Amino acid sequence: MDLEHSRLTRRGFVALTGATSLSALLAACGGDDGGDGGAAAPETGASTDEAPATVSFDPASEPDGPITFFEWAGYDKTSPWMWEGYTKGEYGQRSPLKFDFLENDIQALAKVASGYSPDVIHPCIAYWPDFHAAGLVQPFDTALLPDYEGIPEAIREPGVGEDGLVYHVPFDIGFSAFVYRADKIPIAPEEESWNILLDSAYEGKLATFSDPITIIKIGALINAGEPIDPNKLTSDQIEAAKETMIQAKPQIRNFWDNNQGNIDDFINGNLWGTYMWPDGYLQAIRHEKLKGVDVRYMWPKEGRLAWVCGFVLHAATEQPGRSTLAVAAANTPNAAASLTDVFAYGAAQQEGVLELIKDKELISIFSLDDPSAFEPPRAWFEQPLPNRQEYAEAGEAVKAA
Amino acid sequence: MAQRATMAAPPIPIEERAWARRAQDRFATYALTTPALALLLVFFLVPIYFVVRYSIGLERFAQTEAAASLTGELPGYSLELWREFLDPGVDLEVLGIASGHMPAWVVGVVFAALVFGAVVGPRLSARYGGWIRAGSFLLLLAPFLTIPAGNNLLRVAELSSEGDFLRLFFRSVTMATTSAVWAVIIAFPIAYFLAFGIKKSKYIWLLVVIAPFLTSYLLRIFAWKIILGDQGLFNSALFELGLRNPDDPVSFLIYSQFTVILVLLYAWVPFIILPIFIALESVDRRLLEAATDMGASRLQAMRKVTLPIAAPGIVAAFLFVFIPSIGEYITPALVGGTNGYMFGQAIASQFVGGALNWQTGSVLSIFLLGVVLFLALSTSRFLRAGGGAPA
Repeated sequence: MDLEHSRLTRRGFVALTGATSLSALLAACGGDDGGDGGAAAPETGASTDEAPATVSFDPASEPDGPITFFEWAGYDKTSPWMWEGYTKGEYGQRSPLKFDFLENDIQALAKVASGYSPDVIHPCIAYWPDFHAAGLVQPFDTALLPDYEGIPEAIREPGVGEDGLVYHVPFDIGFSAFVYRADKIPIAPEEESWNILLDSAYEGKLATFSDPITIIKIGALINAGEPIDPNKLTSDQIEAAKETMIQAKPQIRNFWDNNQGNIDDFINGNLWGTYMWPDGYLQAIRHEKLKGVDVRYMWPKEGRLAWVCGFVLHAATEQPGRSTLAVAAANTPNAAASLTDVFAYGAAQQEGVLELIKDKELISIFSLDDPSAFEPPRAWFEQPLPNRQEYAEAGEAVKAA
Repeated sequence: MAQRATMAAPPIPIEERAWARRAQDRFATYALTTPALALLLVFFLVPIYFVVRYSIGLERFAQTEAAASLTGELPGYSLELWREFLDPGVDLEVLGIASGHMPAWVVGVVFAALVFGAVVGPRLSARYGGWIRAGSFLLLLAPFLTIPAGNNLLRVAELSSEGDFLRLFFRSVTMATTSAVWAVIIAFPIAYFLAFGIKKSKYIWLLVVIAPFLTSYLLRIFAWKIILGDQGLFNSALFELGLRNPDDPVSFLIYSQFTVILVLLYAWVPFIILPIFIALESVDRRLLEAATDMGASRLQAMRKVTLPIAAPGIVAAFLFVFIPSIGEYITPALVGGTNGYMFGQAIASQFVGGALNWQTGSVLSIFLLGVVLFLALSTSRFLRAGGGAPA
């Protein structure tokens, strides 16, 4: 996948809807465009042949004015712990943080590609190459990210470009697996598997995430019956996964879009088992209605799925340095510990974080002190997929079948 | 106002005054309609133009070759996506028995012919026109009108397809048609009662009927989730009354086609009472008296007088439900589940969901738009005054 020598064309709808930022993006692509115009951006080392380039930002010389984060709801001013390191710092007043909200990675990509130009975006790690390929992002100056090295290499590595520069700084991580009621789905922990989706005893009692790529990954894990990397599926495996998930449809009551709606369905008894993120599991085990019910977070023998999301820097931002400082604030161990305490999510930042987590129970619930929990074969973190379109089409076909 | 302005002016020859008035009228017309037309142009025609271009590969979401390799979009003009969508063809089942496979265009032509028959039937033949219309209507409705019964939809005929999106389209048409027809059937008696049964303060009653509109649509859908859930109000009542075992709730109530149809009915019935009520209000009461005087029974008077006059209102009501329902997104997303997944959700997924394929999304959108536009335009003829009455 050659993301480096990409050509930027401005056409049609994008042009019409005012792709104000696009001309500045060309630099980040370092492309061979035909004089579409392009503003200078930091040396991004866009050429693969040259020695690894470095990026250097100077926050002091940047103009004042707000810095806009295109964020998931919740990671905004309502979570001041996340941004404290920046808002109380030198630029907190001069370049205050502003937040707009995204609903999912694709929607964020679509909006930014059609001209919306925030300074920092918060996509999951599988999607940063799309932003990059569209010329929408630039690398970070890691000198301004003192805690970057505290992120385990396995987690941060997929965010590094072929040029060796850091394009995606992971912030939050989490498992995705079935949460189920052991009173209704009586299986021993060692028998746990994604294949409960094929068990007709649970007809209409399970649910899973509507993301078509996730649907295919689950199907592939069921087919394998053992840990395989769901990020590296061949066309045949994708096709077989699709067939399996179509077979599983009678059991799947809902392909959920809305996280909280899904959690409510589980708590209210509409579902016996459903694909959940850690916050859902925590809500379920601590909910009045499920008191006395044995609710488990499945650790399938094929491995859990897991996500990593984090920050990318818009290619056209006028304040790349200050934006990076804000990202750095979110990556401190303190912010990372609060992320677990507040949302029950794991933090990409792991250096000295465990001691700072106040709700110690969460550490054991989510195996935060067990490094193997975050590695194959026990967990499969999402990664950029070169053949994502195949996954997506197959997953859509499952939903439409 | 135009009149006053010209009257206040000094005496000038009549032709000039007429010219001035015409110019003024014309200016006023343009001035008043321009904002609406501009809005229509900017937010309807221009986007549609680009969506059409996307659907034939002239535009793509990916702006670079590298991005295109991720999105797998067409690189230039091609009808490939349209072929992928329509090529699988259409399968017809009658009473559950497979009865034939047709190319999509054949279904399109038959469909257009039936709509034509339903709209202008009475003009074709003085004698058989009514039958042509009725027959066309029945054939149009046959594959799509169903009776929701639990997890199943009871039906006479069904159109399906090997193609996922085409099959999903037929499913959405079925759900929209079922919702629309049942909505009209439910709304008509209420409108009739408001128009004929109530003498005093009928507009207050009308307001009471449409009161649910005062709250947000989303809120009302969420309320349904609370009522229809496995441990919801309805099921809890059944448990309490001993009619159902708590381990075995009535499960088709939530996340099914039934739920989507139910919620759409709930949402639209109050709304379409209005057009039917207005149509019924316009029925000249003396005609009904005359019909009764001449020996018609109440049923005959209804069939021969009231219904034909109210027909435009009924058709309008049907379209009011059908058109938004066929592309519904939010209702099936919230209460439809796997079983109630609709075409509109598939479109949304192509644009802003995980599928990310604007070109495929555009094909689906333009197809839907084409069908709806055809229906709206062809029935607009029918909606004109007296459209329901035999010519």
